[in-house]
Amino acid sequence: MRFYAESDYPVGAELDGAHAAQFANFARAGAWGTADQRLAVIHEARQAGIEAGLLEASGDGGVRPTVELPGAIRDVIGTLAVNCPDFDQATYQAACEAGLSDAAFAELVAIVSFVVNLDVFARGIGVPLRPFMEPRTGAPTRTVPAEAILEKAFVPTIPNVPDGGDFAAELYGGHFKPYIMRALSIVPDEYRAHVALEQAQYNPLPKVMVFDYSHHEGLSRPQVEIGAGRVSAINDCFY
Amino acid sequence: MNPEALVRPELDSGVPAGEVLLAFAAAIIGTDRAALDDARAALAEALGPAAVVGASAVAGNFSKNDRVANGIGIPIDDMVFKGTEDLRAQLGLNDYKSAVNTFRHLTPG
Repeated sequence: MRFYAESDYPVGAELDGAHAAQFANFARAGAWGTADQRLAVIHEARQAGIEAGLLEASGDGGVRPTVELPGAIRDVIGTLAVNCPDFDQATYQAACEAGLSDAAFAELVAIVSFVVNLDVFARGIGVPLRPFMEPRTGAPTRTVPAEAILEKAFVPTIPNVPDGGDFAAELYGGHFKPYIMRALSIVPDEYRAHVALEQAQYNPLPKVMVFDYSHHEGLSRPQVEIGAGRVSAINDCFY
Repeated sequence: MNPEALVRPELDSGVPAGEVLLAFAAAIIGTDRAALDDARAALAEALGPAAVVGASAVAGNFSKNDRVANGIGIPIDDMVFKGTEDLRAQLGLNDYKSAVNTFRHLTPG
């Protein structure tokens, strides 16, 4: 069964599979969050979007969370989900003061960003928001790679080779990675999910600098960049 | 391609069907559902139904990346920063709140 089987527009197998895999990822324990906590986070992000008028509620939103998040964490999620231009160091510090470690914060940023991505896509092709899946049992790994160091972001990241060592060589596949990809590297599984979505939705990473290549049927590369750049301009994203 | 159309969408982007793509990009992350429905229909008419999927995938992806960038507080990479002085000034990017994540690392002078 295709994830977007009812779409009036032709969603390719790669994209369909990547999104199905990410929804399954949400339902698993992460490095820091239990599956129940992760469901609560993505549910909060989606509700913030619905309340802001950026998303339309669907009849079947899927499983509802049983975990209640602290108000301060809900505020951080809401800011990231619907007011991205205003997310700043003070918002990060509020998350820390609410008890999140740097790695747990990075996992939260990852899954909020991912669910916004998937919900924007569903809205774009005119299908209802995909229902959340039942959380699976399992404990977070609670590990931080020893190679992660504080570079220039709010949280530690794994540097490129050679500073990131063998771990970076394996994680980054032997290639230089810009900050936008390394940003989530303190939680390697979220980094891998970030890369998988990037490759399905934008470009395979080896093709990013090949400017006459387009990964999307019906769109030239300049047409892709027009859409990408306009979204980032509206989001006031300097990066 | 005229990059100024990214921040001033009333300008000609220099890209075929650019105005349709700019309108769709704004509508998909906006609050006006009727405008999105209109923009989607216009995009399908101009570039075909597959373009709706591609444009939605790109908009979703950059909605993700903008949140990862601002949420984690990353600076732009040195090689990009050094090659984009004129473009950043032209588009007013230095005034974005998230620019501080790059500028806070610069050495005065």
